[in-house]
Amino acid sequence: MAQTMSLATPLSRPDLRAALRRAERPNRLRALALALPALLFLIVTFGAPIGLFLTTAVRNPEVRHILPQTVSTLDQWDGQGVPGEEAFAALAADLARAKENSTAAALGKRLNYESAGMRSRIMSVTRHLGSFADGPLAPQFIALDPAWADTELWAIIKRNGAPVTLYYLLTAVDLGQDATGGIGRVAADQAVFLDILGRTLWIAGLVTVATLLLGFPTAYVISLAPARVAGLMLLMVLLPLWTSLLVRTTAWVVLLQTDGVINQVLLALGLTTEKLQLMLTRFGTVTAMTHIQLPFTILPILSVMKSISEGQMRAARSLGAPPLAAFWRIYAPQTLPGVAAGCLMTFILSLGYYITPALVGGPRDQMVSNFIATYINRDLNWGMAAALACLLLVMTLSIYLAFLRIVGAERIKLG
Amino acid sequence: MWLPAYATRSERLGRLFVVLFAVAVLVFLIGPLFVVFPLSVSKDPFFTFPIKEYSWRWYADFFENTRWTKSLVNSLIAAVFSTALATLLGTLAALGISRPGFPWRKAVMALMISPMIMPVVIVAVGAYMFFGALGLTDTRTGLVLAHAGLAIPFVVVTVLSALSTYDANLTRAGASLGAGPVSVFFAVTLPLILPGIVSGALLAFAVSFDEVIVALFLTGADQRTLPVQMFSGIRDQINPTIMAAASLLTTVSIALFVLLSLIRRVRRA
Amino acid sequence: MNTISLERRRLGDEPPTRSAAEDMVVFERVQKTYDGRTLVVEDLNLAVRRGEFLTMLGPSGSGKTTTLMMLGGFEQPTSGRILLEGQAVERLPPERRDIGFVFQNYALFPHMTVRENVGFPLRYRGVKGAEAARRIEDALEMVQLGGLGERRPAQLSGGQQQRVALARAMVFNPKLILMDEPLGALDKQLREHMQIEIKQIQQRLGITMVYVTHDQSEALTMSDRIAVFHQGRIQQLSDPVTLYEQPENRFVAGFIGDNNTLACELAGTENGLVVVRMQDGTRLLTTGPAGSPGESMTVSLRPERLGLDTGSRQGAHNRITARVLDKTFLGDRVRLALEAFGDARLVASLPAAEGAAIVPGCTVAMACAAADCRTLTR
Repeated sequence: MAQTMSLATPLSRPDLRAALRRAERPNRLRALALALPALLFLIVTFGAPIGLFLTTAVRNPEVRHILPQTVSTLDQWDGQGVPGEEAFAALAADLARAKENSTAAALGKRLNYESAGMRSRIMSVTRHLGSFADGPLAPQFIALDPAWADTELWAIIKRNGAPVTLYYLLTAVDLGQDATGGIGRVAADQAVFLDILGRTLWIAGLVTVATLLLGFPTAYVISLAPARVAGLMLLMVLLPLWTSLLVRTTAWVVLLQTDGVINQVLLALGLTTEKLQLMLTRFGTVTAMTHIQLPFTILPILSVMKSISEGQMRAARSLGAPPLAAFWRIYAPQTLPGVAAGCLMTFILSLGYYITPALVGGPRDQMVSNFIATYINRDLNWGMAAALACLLLVMTLSIYLAFLRIVGAERIKLG
Repeated sequence: MWLPAYATRSERLGRLFVVLFAVAVLVFLIGPLFVVFPLSVSKDPFFTFPIKEYSWRWYADFFENTRWTKSLVNSLIAAVFSTALATLLGTLAALGISRPGFPWRKAVMALMISPMIMPVVIVAVGAYMFFGALGLTDTRTGLVLAHAGLAIPFVVVTVLSALSTYDANLTRAGASLGAGPVSVFFAVTLPLILPGIVSGALLAFAVSFDEVIVALFLTGADQRTLPVQMFSGIRDQINPTIMAAASLLTTVSIALFVLLSLIRRVRRA
Repeated sequence: MNTISLERRRLGDEPPTRSAAEDMVVFERVQKTYDGRTLVVEDLNLAVRRGEFLTMLGPSGSGKTTTLMMLGGFEQPTSGRILLEGQAVERLPPERRDIGFVFQNYALFPHMTVRENVGFPLRYRGVKGAEAARRIEDALEMVQLGGLGERRPAQLSGGQQQRVALARAMVFNPKLILMDEPLGALDKQLREHMQIEIKQIQQRLGITMVYVTHDQSEALTMSDRIAVFHQGRIQQLSDPVTLYEQPENRFVAGFIGDNNTLACELAGTENGLVVVRMQDGTRLLTTGPAGSPGESMTVSLRPERLGLDTGSRQGAHNRITARVLDKTFLGDRVRLALEAFGDARLVASLPAAEGAAIVPGCTVAMACAAADCRTLTR
């Protein structure tokens, strides 16, 4: 009896949901299993490297690893006045080992970021370690450089004994920490990074607007053209997209050179009397980037325009709207999804440009990516490179999220 | 076509203006592609137009210089292997994602696509650091892995689009006729989505073959690819041999593009 | 009563002057070709009367939609004239014709609410503020959509979208409303409901409507007059009953309703009736145009006009002996597939009760009135 009852009673709502989940689990797992290799591959070759790189923005190993004794001694120090003799002794011992391992230079470089002159102070002490006499070391340090009697210097060493630092991230937005750990703006002559970020956003914005102004009418004309002509026009959009970015940038280098094609044409036409400086300028960079990004803006707009039925304009006209009003009130608003997709994509990609500014731009046109590369290649300052990468990534991902919300990853089309 | 039959005179004038504007933009788009090739066959080492004398000397330079030829071979090898890897992984992933029960589809897609939008310098430095720890910098393996990662989204998107037009009833029909899931896949599904897979592979090849920045960070002198060789050349002193290299790179791109268009045409027919 | 109906009344109350003034639209020798080779519309002459519901009916490619597009201003005639209230309008852009147009698939603006869609035409007629709001409300009330003004088209059912399209086309009191297969996307029940509703609105407001459809039952239900299009020409222009009862040619006979078309030749005339000879020599009394004796022609006969011979028929009629090939049960009726006049096939439709006893294979005596047998010479 009880059994029949339970069979007759329909499953309650939560049970039903659980049953559904149970019934679907094999399908879900099978589907997931197919995507899993690619996901794991991307996590290993793409996610993990980027994650590892970004953590260097806060990693702070130098002081901790090179001055272990000093750091543990300074743990007891309350930050008031010059630390006692045992701190100097610990520092001397640590530096002696650093000299053996030749890590003193790395330490000096790291501490020099925090306070100018630290590198030479560390190197000088390391050099003179052998000539120090027995007895209290503190006076001998201070005799070598009075700065060793400075509370602030010891505070910096103590603070950087921590495994994590905000130094790089703060510097990347033109902020700094003073000896007591308070955060404030850095001196105007050192405040360069907000300018770089602003410049990156500004160039990406200019390129996006330029591609929209050039691309929207072009997409419109392609969408109206008879099939054969439209095919040819589309070819003129797709062919540059397929040509390597480097080749296109090379072409612009040749075009923009002082003796380049554009200047030759302008002179021949008598439009200018002297050669214009086009290479290594903002104008040249934005022009080349606009050329490269134009297809990315045109294609999504075109695909939306093609989907707007002719009936929409007919209806608008038959209801009394003159041509321009019909265009702006009925046609243009319906192209917005394509405009959003194209512009967001171009903006995202423009933020990360490296090759084109590097080859066509001048020093004032270098974007965040170029500085990241420079910090890695020339300055070997991984922390700063990673901090800038964090900022670039935050900008990119926030716009990517907007793109996902507005457009959706599933609607990305190629060619 | 250009204009509806009911267009007014001012509309016709406006349209003429817009069409002229669009033609100018298209010329701007395609024009720079026609700069490189003529300069590569100019005898003159200076980049001046009009070209006075034609010569293949810069191509001879290219093919006689082992640094250039080696970089070309390196590029081809890296592209072939990363294409194979990306096509295999990307196609499997697309097959999974397209199934109705796929969990967290939006998030997974967002993740799969992200290599497309990630600033390449960040990818390159990350790979340089991570692969360095694994001893994979200055090796072909490292480059192939990194390029495959960059190419996967292109394969996923293309194969998904091929699968979106695939009628799931065909799979059911195959099963009802007695074929197991694997047989149905190879006998029915695969032949129908093959054009999509090949398109994805062509895109993946192009991605790897044209990529500069990751290769710049990951390769040593022995694995240096053609774009890297070109990039360093341009930074150093731009010379006509670079134009020859650029022309070769473009030729490969156009060949891939033509192949892709042919596949699309076959698919539509 | 809302303003729309009041104003329409006034228009309808105008005393008829000449017949030309009663014509809302006149097509004069209109031709249309897209490619310069084939004429989509050949020599069209048609007058649409003020206040009438005229349907252009025909299969796809017959030229009916092109004709409607020319009237709406979306296509230009290759030659000929189109007069709207006596004014030539071939060169007038659509926005200046003051014609309401209901499109196939409605062409509602997806980025605007229902209210904004319906208010769109008012904006370009200088109707603003409270007056506009009132007219939008009235129009929505008229199509029973009051309260849905803030929805977007995508949030409406197909039938509701159809009503919005109707309201939008009528809100500015156009002199003429054109409809291009407006009910094609709806399911059968809703379609039949909307047919009646549109017809009622049209009659209540006295609007002139030109309606395009390929659905003959829709045309018969709604129209005052029907123009049957085929191959770019009007095959017949008449009221629904005449069209049904007296098709003028084989195309119309076959296109409108079910019909038996039987080959025969003219034998002569008798008491004002036309006598034809069937394949097997049987003589049949028919009505319709006659030609010269011996000329081959066609007789058309509706299945429901071919009944069992009960011997009680009045007037001139024919007796036909037929063999039953097949019987199909249709609920209220049965459909018989018959063989008669030798090996000619024809179909009869009987009330279910009358056909209950008939089984395939048996021979039945059928009868039909001479008036129901129409001769066709074309």
